[in-house]
Amino acid sequence: MMAMARTLSRLRQDRSGLAGLSIVALFFLVSIAVWAGWLGQDWSAADGARWEGPGPAHWFGTNVLGQDIFERAVYSVRTAFEIGLVVALLSTVLGAALGAVAGWRGNTWIDGAITWLKGVLDAIPFYLFVAAVAFALRGAPWAMHLAMVATFWTTTARLVRAEVLKIRSLDYVRSARAIGLPGAVILARHVLPNTTHILLVQGTIAFVAAIKTEVVLSFLGLGVQDGVSWGLMLAESTQEVLAGHFGNFIAASGMLFLLLLGLNLLADAMQDALDPKQAAL
Amino acid sequence: MRFTAGKLLHGLLLILGVTFLSFLLMVWFGPDQTYSLIGKNASAEEIASVRHQLGYDQPFFARYFEYLRELVTLDLGTSNASGEAVRSLLARTLPVSLALMIPGFVLGNLLGIALGLAAAQHRGRWPDRLITGFSVSGMSLSFLVIIIGMQALLCTPYGLDLFPVRGWRVDSFASYLQYATVPSLSLILVALGYNTRFYRAVFIEEYGRDHIRTARAFGASTTEILWKHVLRNSLVPVITRFMFSIPLVVISGSLLIESYFGIPGIGLATFEAITSGDQPVLKAVVGLTAVAFVLLQAVTDTLYRLVDPRVT
Repeated sequence: MMAMARTLSRLRQDRSGLAGLSIVALFFLVSIAVWAGWLGQDWSAADGARWEGPGPAHWFGTNVLGQDIFERAVYSVRTAFEIGLVVALLSTVLGAALGAVAGWRGNTWIDGAITWLKGVLDAIPFYLFVAAVAFALRGAPWAMHLAMVATFWTTTARLVRAEVLKIRSLDYVRSARAIGLPGAVILARHVLPNTTHILLVQGTIAFVAAIKTEVVLSFLGLGVQDGVSWGLMLAESTQEVLAGHFGNFIAASGMLFLLLLGLNLLADAMQDALDPKQAAL
Repeated sequence: MRFTAGKLLHGLLLILGVTFLSFLLMVWFGPDQTYSLIGKNASAEEIASVRHQLGYDQPFFARYFEYLRELVTLDLGTSNASGEAVRSLLARTLPVSLALMIPGFVLGNLLGIALGLAAAQHRGRWPDRLITGFSVSGMSLSFLVIIIGMQALLCTPYGLDLFPVRGWRVDSFASYLQYATVPSLSLILVALGYNTRFYRAVFIEEYGRDHIRTARAFGASTTEILWKHVLRNSLVPVITRFMFSIPLVVISGSLLIESYFGIPGIGLATFEAITSGDQPVLKAVVGLTAVAFVLLQAVTDTLYRLVDPRVT
């Protein structure tokens, strides 16, 4: 409890962290509003002329089909949160589970097998792997998510494993063992909760990586299949920029940058506030 | 000796894993090439003979072991898509990618080291805040946004219009600079935020050590502390980051940048091989990347021992 209060007070004093939190919260509210049907619902309506300039009717102009660019960028907030949340959550859970098992059974064959799997995934160039998975499952809308989860868990697992290896030799864990608690209970109730700081920070970093990867995959034609995303808007803009139409590029890259900045600042602040090593200083 | 044998076994298992996974994904579940190789209205016999030629009628493990055998004997075959020998494809594309990626990769790391060092030396004061803010902003920029932005800024009449928009017609150093500058600047920018942050953390840790305080107390100069203590002791993490980025940067990084700028390098060739299911090309690229990865690990281990006598 003490540690929690200290963490919160440290987080409150971190101005850039608060700025990051506000940005992320704002985007989250927008994504909820889109999801609930209050915002961005006209993203596919072609109610303008081709490549209209910015104006009161279309704040960032229109795209090649006459669709409102701002409306599309707002709707894409929902797409970004869907991808970011799913990938961050699943890859963190997978990383925590495999990392905890590897650490708890440190230096056994299970640990060796998990470490080997991490090594294999790390040795395949990332975009190649993601492109291969996305292509092998072509047509499946979740191919991109699966590919990212399959690669993003390795860093989390590595950090959790190291932490669990450290924790498992602490006195309180030895005592729990001595009174005969089953390993699974000790791991779930007394060890994993002490890795929360790693999971929160890594989850945020995975969120950032997922949104960034979506952009590249959508440009390569392997990302979002239907709907709209900042990646698809940027892919559209690659031709438009050469012809002097900057609406798609500015709207998509501006919002993308703001959300990523917010998440990065938040991750940094959480790292500082939650790191037990910092607490000692 | 036992150490080396362990490393060798580890490397072999890693290569087996990488080749198995990529075989499974890219070949077994990859695209079927039968119908792109035969004309319309092919007879059942023709289809069967093409499938036999491609090995599609073989069971899973027979195909996987054939894949391994070809990799071990460096019998790389010819591209199914273009008919070009894979060896000559590699010889044609790899130098392009290296020429494209190395300057940006090296400069991105050197600049990151310089900025990280400057931030660590002024920890908590305005230069540090400025550099940290810059690095977080850099980390928040998408690779694609950087590329499009650089292109608009440097290659179009809406910006400075100094360089060609895309392509790769390089026959002299001047033309190399013409085509490689914008991609290289994009590469530096995309990596700089992450590099700066990483190196800053490394240097801050070194500056915080007790022996640095002791050296200061004994009157060692700032330069002496920097070169003799901080930089020397930071070599292990610096080497690790640098070495392990090489295969990933050259293949992964070149994939996007080459397909964007239309540069005929290994990244573009590999991407085309994935989308067309060109098994011989994929086999060569993925297999050789895995081997390069394991070799780099061995080289890195040797470097550790050279720079740090504590590593055994």
